[in-house]
Amino acid sequence: MITCEFDRRRFLQWTGASVFAAMASQLSLESLATAATTSPLPAKTPILVLVTLYGGNDGLNTVVPYTNPVYKSVRSNIALSPSQVLPISDSLAFNSSMPMVRDLFGRRKVAIVQGVSYPNPSLSHFSSMAIWQTASLTGLASGWIGRWLDKQPHSPFNAIGVGSTLPPAFVGEQTVASMVDVGGLQLPWGPVATVLPRLGAPSQSDVTLEAAAATSISDLYSTAKRIGPHMPKSPSGSWIQQQLSLVSALINANVPTRVWEVNLSSFDTHTGEVGDQNSLLADVDTAIGDFMTRISAGSRANDVTVMIYSEFGRRVASNASDGTDHGTSAPVFLIGNRVKGGLYGEQPSLKRLDPNGNLRVTTDFRAIYGGLLHDVLETPVGDIIPSWHGALSVH
Amino acid sequence: MSPTPSYEQRLATSRLLHRFNFGPTPGQYVNLLDRGLEATQTAVLEFGRPDPGIIAVGPLPLANLGSYPNGNSAKANEFYKKMNRDTNNLVMWWLDRMAAAHYPLAERMTWFWHGHWATSISAIGYPFPMKKQLTTLRQFALGNFKDMASAMVLDGALNVWLNNNENYIQAPNENLAREFMELMTIGVNHYTQDDVAAAALALTGYSTDYPTGKVSFNPKTHFDVPLSILGELNHYNAENLAALVVSRSENATFIADRVWFRFVSGTTTPPPTLAESFADREIMGLVSALVRSNVWTDPANTMVKSPVEWFIGACRALKVRPSKLNTGDVQYLLTQMGQLPFNPPNVGGWTYGTAWLSGVSFQYRFELAQAIVTAGDLGPLAVEPLNMVQACADWLGVAQWSPRTANALTLSLATPSELALAAILSPEYMVSV
Repeated sequence: MITCEFDRRRFLQWTGASVFAAMASQLSLESLATAATTSPLPAKTPILVLVTLYGGNDGLNTVVPYTNPVYKSVRSNIALSPSQVLPISDSLAFNSSMPMVRDLFGRRKVAIVQGVSYPNPSLSHFSSMAIWQTASLTGLASGWIGRWLDKQPHSPFNAIGVGSTLPPAFVGEQTVASMVDVGGLQLPWGPVATVLPRLGAPSQSDVTLEAAAATSISDLYSTAKRIGPHMPKSPSGSWIQQQLSLVSALINANVPTRVWEVNLSSFDTHTGEVGDQNSLLADVDTAIGDFMTRISAGSRANDVTVMIYSEFGRRVASNASDGTDHGTSAPVFLIGNRVKGGLYGEQPSLKRLDPNGNLRVTTDFRAIYGGLLHDVLETPVGDIIPSWHGALSVH
Repeated sequence: MSPTPSYEQRLATSRLLHRFNFGPTPGQYVNLLDRGLEATQTAVLEFGRPDPGIIAVGPLPLANLGSYPNGNSAKANEFYKKMNRDTNNLVMWWLDRMAAAHYPLAERMTWFWHGHWATSISAIGYPFPMKKQLTTLRQFALGNFKDMASAMVLDGALNVWLNNNENYIQAPNENLAREFMELMTIGVNHYTQDDVAAAALALTGYSTDYPTGKVSFNPKTHFDVPLSILGELNHYNAENLAALVVSRSENATFIADRVWFRFVSGTTTPPPTLAESFADREIMGLVSALVRSNVWTDPANTMVKSPVEWFIGACRALKVRPSKLNTGDVQYLLTQMGQLPFNPPNVGGWTYGTAWLSGVSFQYRFELAQAIVTAGDLGPLAVEPLNMVQACADWLGVAQWSPRTANALTLSLATPSELALAAILSPEYMVSV
């Protein structure tokens, strides 16, 4: 059964504020291309890879409290049996669709932060994803990586998303990130090809959105020049695997990029959850295993940290359509050679729920961002997340 | 002959045509500049007259294809061939209507409502119920929102998309109930989780037949105990649930905000008077209040054209019928740019703003522009070379070229097709300034 897809490409913030109200970068084409070819990412520079799971991944069927009798009784139609899980302790187990991540966990390269959300979680896909991507409970317009971009020396390579539309996390107040596409970059051809780069130049008379449109032209040329030669020729595997294998190729080619984003949709499992979620988690697992193998073969193995997150977890009790409705807290995964693996935070109780039958929140996601800003992006958290100081370090 | 129009008049006229009418046909921009802003407002609001453009496109009869066949038989192959053919025809038929309409407001509003009640064909699979939904959206596109909401809460494709086929009293599925309130009628934070849970119960008892999209009601599986929703105790069903939420004052504000967001600006907010013009929930009243307002000369109210709006605008200017292009290419390229009709990515509808403006999307935009220009009528460029760049702005309804773009276009004066290609790929044409 196909459920309503909540998909990263198209989510809007419905609270009125604009997440896209950003000035576009106004560097000239020539300076972009020159900067790119003359400045590979210095050795040992930390790199962050965000994996966004759109739709609300069910945390309780990802990291499973498999021995808890409440789990089995309130989810009788979707509870995973002991044969469908890979235990990591007496009380918790991975979904058996995740053998690669389980193996990385065994090698202490995976930190699982439990019970992650924020105060008074929203059950709306749109509001909740906006909160995660802006790191703001109060409707800040810019994304958290976007605000970090604002503080970096201008370059279209600082942060790159995979796909053709930008995630709101990557939109700053003055700067937006760049995109690459799994399908490769094809420059315009024919006689007009000599004219089009001129249309990508900034103009004094441009309003903000015209400048952004011009930048879309110059970005295509500059990213094609810098990144095109390193793109895998024929991507294979699932969509998420294609994205991550592109990212690993570009990281290994020393593209000067500090933050990457890839994503997967369809986690909104209101119906027929077990089959759908298992297959999605298997895709993520294979892609992460493949990504870590590729990275380990290059020179950046110790630089990379992956974060896997979703806008919310799902209701503790299942519904009658063998699925679950929108919920609250869920585990966040942090993966990398330098990550100190293990369980962090507190697993929320299955008995002491909030009034809607959802899990309580035991860790604020902004603490994880705080740790990543400090350890990976080397920026004080207070500069990026207003009035927030906490940092949960897994490095 | 009227005096030379001011920049403000060129700007307002350009905005009204691009945002409410999918852009001007050849000569229309200059004609309306000549006739003035009031005449332009009247022209873009034209609605309800027999439309020769729409009549020329003709109807699209679709058959009920019935249940999915089993196995890999020849009959099954035939079935899937018909499904693909009908889906393809439905997409192209609608694009043709947008491009051919002489009075495009009806199609433009239908397009807005398609994004508002964002239903993807991916859930129900069949094109027949998607066309049925499109007919409903068109029927109420400029009618009363209460009627629209009552019809749409019982729309088969929407019910399947939001899991109302799996909404049972014993274990309600909240998907339709929540999104109906959050995204379609009153907006987030104007209801509680208890309201969602109760509304889900109010929506039990309905089931949808996939091939036809017909929704039937079974009183035996409907929860018929009084429920409290938004503080009102009642025996609820889909119709009086819709009536309840539409009667809330938040509904006027919410719909006025959504219209503003899609027609005026993603970054500014409407004046309170806009929601007041929607007190009776008459959509035409809201739209005409907006069209006749003074917001069109405010420099802040810029927008990025969505891929379909940009594509249809170019088709209208170049007199191209989308279905005469390679329809597989058109649908592939719109998909790559993120906007294939009947395929919104999620129930929140299409994105907006700079999200449409990635470098990657420009490579697909280029291919689509090339297809349009190759098939297009370049007659409006048959002027003295000295006047071509300005003629191009007047043709496409661009208020003003930047020096950057004017200089770049000058390089293509010898080849009108190159000039047209560069013009529709210019920053000034990708956005509605």
